Amino acid sequence: MKKGIIALALVLSLYACKKDSTSVIDTPVSTIRINNLAADTIIGITPGAPPTGGMPYGAGKYTFFSLENNKIIPNSDSASTKWDIGFRGTTIITNSGNSGPATGGAFIYVGLFDGLKTIHADSVFKVDNAPSAYAITSGSNRGWFVYDGINNLVNPIPGRVLVIRTASGKFAKLEILNYYKGGVTPAASASDAIKINAQRYYTFRFTFQPNGTKVF
Amino acid sequence: MRIYLFLFVFFIFSNLSAQQIDTIAGSGNEIVVTATRTERKLSNVAIPVTLINQKTIQQAGSVRINDILQEQTGLFLTNGFGTGVQMQGLNPDYTLILVDGQPLVGRTAGVLDLNRISVGNIKQIEIVKGPSSSLYGSEAMAGVINIITDQSKSNKLKLSARYGSFNTGDFNIDGSFRKNKFAYQGFGNIYNTDGFSIRPNSTERSIAPIKRYTMQHNFNYYFTDKTNLLFNFRMNNENITNLISVNNNGNTISSKGFEKNKDFNATLQLTHRFNNKIKNIARLYGTRYESTQELVTSTRVPYTDYFKQQFGRIENQTDFTINNQVELNTGFGYAIETANSTRYDNSNNTKINHIGFAFVQTEWKPITPLTLIAGARFDNNELYAAAFSPKLALQYKATKKISLKASIGRGFKAPDFRQLYLNFTNIAAGGYSVYGALEAQKTINELNRLGQISSIENDFYSLNNLQPELSTGINIGGNYAINKKINFSLNLFHNNIENLIDTRLVAYKTGGAQIFSYINVKNAYTKGIETNVDFKANALFTISGGYQFLLTGDKDEIEKINAGKVFTRDANGFSRLMQRSEYIGLANRSKHMANLKFQYEKNSWFTNLRFIYRSKWAITDTDGNGLFNTNDAFAKGYLQVNTALGKTFMSKLSVQIGCNNLLNYEDPSNLPNMAGRTFYTTLSYQFLKNKTKNRII
Repeated sequence: MKKGIIALALVLSLYACKKDSTSVIDTPVSTIRINNLAADTIIGITPGAPPTGGMPYGAGKYTFFSLENNKIIPNSDSASTKWDIGFRGTTIITNSGNSGPATGGAFIYVGLFDGLKTIHADSVFKVDNAPSAYAITSGSNRGWFVYDGINNLVNPIPGRVLVIRTASGKFAKLEILNYYKGGVTPAASASDAIKINAQRYYTFRFTFQPNGTKVF
Repeated sequence: MRIYLFLFVFFIFSNLSAQQIDTIAGSGNEIVVTATRTERKLSNVAIPVTLINQKTIQQAGSVRINDILQEQTGLFLTNGFGTGVQMQGLNPDYTLILVDGQPLVGRTAGVLDLNRISVGNIKQIEIVKGPSSSLYGSEAMAGVINIITDQSKSNKLKLSARYGSFNTGDFNIDGSFRKNKFAYQGFGNIYNTDGFSIRPNSTERSIAPIKRYTMQHNFNYYFTDKTNLLFNFRMNNENITNLISVNNNGNTISSKGFEKNKDFNATLQLTHRFNNKIKNIARLYGTRYESTQELVTSTRVPYTDYFKQQFGRIENQTDFTINNQVELNTGFGYAIETANSTRYDNSNNTKINHIGFAFVQTEWKPITPLTLIAGARFDNNELYAAAFSPKLALQYKATKKISLKASIGRGFKAPDFRQLYLNFTNIAAGGYSVYGALEAQKTINELNRLGQISSIENDFYSLNNLQPELSTGINIGGNYAINKKINFSLNLFHNNIENLIDTRLVAYKTGGAQIFSYINVKNAYTKGIETNVDFKANALFTISGGYQFLLTGDKDEIEKINAGKVFTRDANGFSRLMQRSEYIGLANRSKHMANLKFQYEKNSWFTNLRFIYRSKWAITDTDGNGLFNTNDAFAKGYLQVNTALGKTFMSKLSVQIGCNNLLNYEDPSNLPNMAGRTFYTTLSYQFLKNKTKNRII
């Protein structure tokens, strides 16, 4: 029985490859994995104790990234159309609305990364209206992550794909895999110091479609 | 208490001919009262009941009620806001805790801390499983635990002292006095512990130093053989001190926490038997729970938390013995419940609820082996919708060895004051707020008018008057006395829980702070098998064991899984669809729980060895999909072994030594209340014990 399923899967995948290689002629899309993208990592803790103090803070700067060119864009180019998305803590901005000069945007697709083959024609790309509304909704359990308040950990929600309209008006899909250094979430029992210092390092994978279509 | 008052009532008025022994009241030695609100032989109750007697409690070396409950099949003691009990997989919120038939109040986050109850004067503990709101009203959704204190029939005085690890001392005085028409029973308990910490490098103790004082006085006056007046009061005070030291980036901030809890209850009860068919009990009951917590930090203004709950009830119960086959019990009453707290809008603002209720139950024995029970109760509340709770039960004694039981009942839990009125903002953690359902509508509308609300979530519109949470429970089982040595019992249970109240995000403040409130949203189930075996190897040696298999689930979560909307992650961290088989249901539940006890008694000696096992349970949703599945974090299953040894000298002096957690099992993060291996020794002395004439009504 199991063998039968494997054989069937093999046949199906061969068929799928065949279909892909014939229909997407110009540029076969590739999926790239980015590890440890620092996103305004913690540089200190305000003196005192909560609620007035004891809060970890970063430099307050976004890390900008170009999906089209697969590289980090210097912060000095924040007002340019060179970047597609920016990361600061758990907030992700798109080069759209009041976040940047381009006409990017995004929405969150619920489902599997590999399952998203075509962006549906009816899909609405949202634009940033910081700080109250982002194309990729900020906050726990609203967008891409859920905050575990008991253990003080941020977990990306599985089955969330960020569908992005880049600065150049092309399309990409992106899945966040982890929020901690090395792509490994610290243990619930880890010390606060470990949890603070390991956070704000994104591991994600993305597929950029350079031909401008909504098909991956 | 009722047991004592009505003891043997049926025997007086019936001739003890062989045929009549198996009346509704039944035969056998063990009598329980909780399942039907009337005395019944344990072997004759159509509802699953566990009875723990005084001897079992003492020989287990228990100090607080939770010590003995944790050794019972299917009960798990939870920690967090005190020690609560999980029954048939339902949270502590849903088990009604009674002392002498009357409810205790003062729950924190739904948990009534069982540490408040000393076992020093307990005669027996009755555990009724399955919804029992048809007799008891709110909170009896999973079942009822009734703690029945000793009301001795003799003149006696007993002192006992126990000392053990962590400087834990427990001292009891228990005495009774009887003369003519008057009877008095008094009890005092002092408990003191230094507490302990099993977390390394932490000055904060997981069990803080505690001092507790409990006393209970019980007065009875028998006007005639048919009329009795009872006055009972009980007091429990506790003082807890905790030194908390927070190390924050090199700065150590020390603070001192003080907690004072006061608990008081009083009963005035008049029992009168009109004739051999009608008995009436009129009762006035009042209780108060007051809790003050103070956190003093060197650098800041002290934080104070105050909570007071009061409950008063007047009720009347009439029992009609129509004939040997039919008995009818009816009752009605009125209760007032109030609460004041700094957790509400204003602690001077008293929150009040009025409840009127009536119940009726009939027990019918059409033929000797069959007992049928039908009952219902109606609770009308000022603050939320009324609740109607019916129950049906039957017992069929198929043969002398086999008896079968089945029952179906409805239970409910009224929304508590917290769920209605809480007004709490956590400034330390991002400024989120939690408002009770009534408070939320008022406050959010007001904040919205002032322009302080940035967005309102869909759930805001479902905020309405909260409905009671409901359960429908079915219990089917039986008892098989294989021979004189082996007894086997089995119970299958299924609880369908509707309207569960959960916190939901209802709005955002400008600036992003979240506002949560309470809504009736969840539907869940718990189902399983409970089985117990007793094996009496010979006159000296007994083995008893129990096992519970439990499955739980949230119905909305299962629907989402079946619809393919729930994901988890594979080894690469990539999302994948979660399978139904990976779903494990509600957190903090163990699929397997078991206990095994070896007991040896010879002459004035006894010794026992007790094993308690609990399989792993889910603690955190680490894969972020919002429910609990095999990919999440679990606490490890564990085995706890306890043992005790004792001897009684000349029927007066008893000496007992014991060791709990013999294997020294520790899990600081998941079982902070479980100390490593601890030792104790107990001495008790019975000064006098004179039998006096029994008074029976």
